[in-house]
Amino acid sequence: MNKDIVLSIDGLKTQFKVGKRIVHAVNDVSLSVKRGKTLGIVGESGCGKSVTAHSVVQLLPKTGNICKGTIKYSPEVGKEYVLSDYKRDSKEIRSIRGKHISMIFQDPLSSLDPVYTIGKQIEEILFEHEKISKNEARKRIIDLLAKLGIPKPEERYNHYPHQFSGGMKQRVMIAIAMVCNPKLLIADEPTTALDVTIQAQILSLMRDIQKDYGTSIILITHNMGIVAEACDEVAVMYMGRIVEYGPLEKVFNNPLHPYTSALLRSVPVLGIDKNTELRSIRGNTPDGSDVFQGCEFSPRCDQICQHCKDGHPPVRVVEEGHEVRCWLYEGSGGSDHK
Amino acid sequence: MLGYFFKRVLLLIPKLLIISILIFIGLSFVPGDPIDHLIPPDQRAKLSPVQLETLRESLGLNEKLPVRYLRWISGVLKGDFGYSMVSGASIRVMIARRLPATLELAFFGLVIANILGLTLGYISSIKHNSIIDYTNTTLGIIGTSVPEFFLGLCCIAIFSLHLGWLPTGGRVAVGKETFFDRIEYLVLPVLCLAIGYIATLMRYTRGSMLDVLNKDYIKAARSKGISEFRVNCNHGLRNALIPVMIILVNRIPVLVSGAVIIENIFNYPGMGRMILDAISCSDIPVVMFSTMVIATMILVSSLLVDMLAALLDPRIRFN
Repeated sequence: MNKDIVLSIDGLKTQFKVGKRIVHAVNDVSLSVKRGKTLGIVGESGCGKSVTAHSVVQLLPKTGNICKGTIKYSPEVGKEYVLSDYKRDSKEIRSIRGKHISMIFQDPLSSLDPVYTIGKQIEEILFEHEKISKNEARKRIIDLLAKLGIPKPEERYNHYPHQFSGGMKQRVMIAIAMVCNPKLLIADEPTTALDVTIQAQILSLMRDIQKDYGTSIILITHNMGIVAEACDEVAVMYMGRIVEYGPLEKVFNNPLHPYTSALLRSVPVLGIDKNTELRSIRGNTPDGSDVFQGCEFSPRCDQICQHCKDGHPPVRVVEEGHEVRCWLYEGSGGSDHK
Repeated sequence: MLGYFFKRVLLLIPKLLIISILIFIGLSFVPGDPIDHLIPPDQRAKLSPVQLETLRESLGLNEKLPVRYLRWISGVLKGDFGYSMVSGASIRVMIARRLPATLELAFFGLVIANILGLTLGYISSIKHNSIIDYTNTTLGIIGTSVPEFFLGLCCIAIFSLHLGWLPTGGRVAVGKETFFDRIEYLVLPVLCLAIGYIATLMRYTRGSMLDVLNKDYIKAARSKGISEFRVNCNHGLRNALIPVMIILVNRIPVLVSGAVIIENIFNYPGMGRMILDAISCSDIPVVMFSTMVIATMILVSSLLVDMLAALLDPRIRFN
């Protein structure tokens, strides 16, 4: 594994069993997260972005299973764990969860246990992973809370979640995620439930954390604006597959996949002409259990060609580090992924 | 918070007074002359109306309702609960003898129901949709739907008459008095009293747990790397208990008064049997006082519910 890479996912396939149906939530996803960098995973609801992230730490619901692919995690150069080999809830994966790879969730309002003080909830993760005295833990937590911009941390330490506002709760969630100093932070739509001004605060907070601790971040979002603001690399997902993957500027300046360009076109911009209709992508997201012969996006695609119904398009590397999964680039001079 | 509960406790007094007035008025409408139950019919026929009237007068039955009420309530406040019209025994003595028996029954019923109900409900929710869960829920439906009297009779038929393991009823054998002598008499009534409870509690716990286990904070707790058992107990059960405990405490008075049927089947000398006997004899002072005891229990447990809710749920405590 490349020494710059903290997490690499290769050919991940995650399935859900819903009654008798099998839903292929994630299909052949490969990506890597560089040390100290942010990877954004974008896509609409149900495209498998959260499932990909949850697969990393085996936090899938009981109906979900990783059935193919490897997930490798390297906390430092020369050390490597194969996370996909661990059993769900095994001791090994639990020692990674929270300590090495921690998560922030979408809804801070419901992600904190209402019956414990926030101090207790932050302590819990610290005591699980580190041998530390109660006083030391308290001191460290209060320092962290202060650093995360929570006023009067000594007092707030003994407060219950319902005594915090939404933005403050998300800061507490970040404190829980950061208290063990993880190498990788998975933020699953961390700002979706917050209002816009708070969104910006939380995003800049995450950037500061990254600068101070050198944490790598996977940022899951459906908001292109957040990606542009916060990410170094982007993976665009559609129906469980990565359709486009590359450095931020390349994907934004030169979107290759019709889905990516459609997504970018549908973002409203300040000063947009009030008379022009905002572009949207026609049709609906297909059901996760639908099986496609060809490209999953073809029924909604504007640039459909004769190959599109034939089979899944392979991944093409069109330029350095910029990959796309679309028939349009077949034979366009790029090279095969593998 | 303490001030609030102090106020609640003080409020119990006017509430109890109002309840006592309502019960008193209600009981004064009960048809039938208490005298009829006092004197054997053949002797009653021999008594002249004047004699009956004197008897009524001497028992205070002829006074106006408010006067009778005031006399009764002032007695109660002084600790004089009156006398049974049937046996002439002091109600205080009767209660002092009966209440401990009922409380003993209710206490063990509650303890067993709690332990089994919570454990089974917890297991059912953790092993959701497994064979254990299906067995539990099926038994639960049977447990809630089989009436107590039928269950009691079945138990007597099987364990007492057929197998001869346990006594058919009573509280203690003649000449014995330690608690250990009473255990064998307690087993069947406690079991019959507890089964409906276990079933209800199991179903509530299971439902509440399943609801809580789907919450985001459970997933967040798992993402901390703590063990599954601790996620389920510290975060799952701890939150699931809030509604379950409230239901449980709310039902304590039902458990005490609900022992009426069980106590009669097992010939158990508790409050329940006393109430039933008193009602069938129109023994108004006894009915009056035992109804008050039950009303007090209901009020106190609803106060307990609020205190418990505040104790378990900081969102209530801090508002």
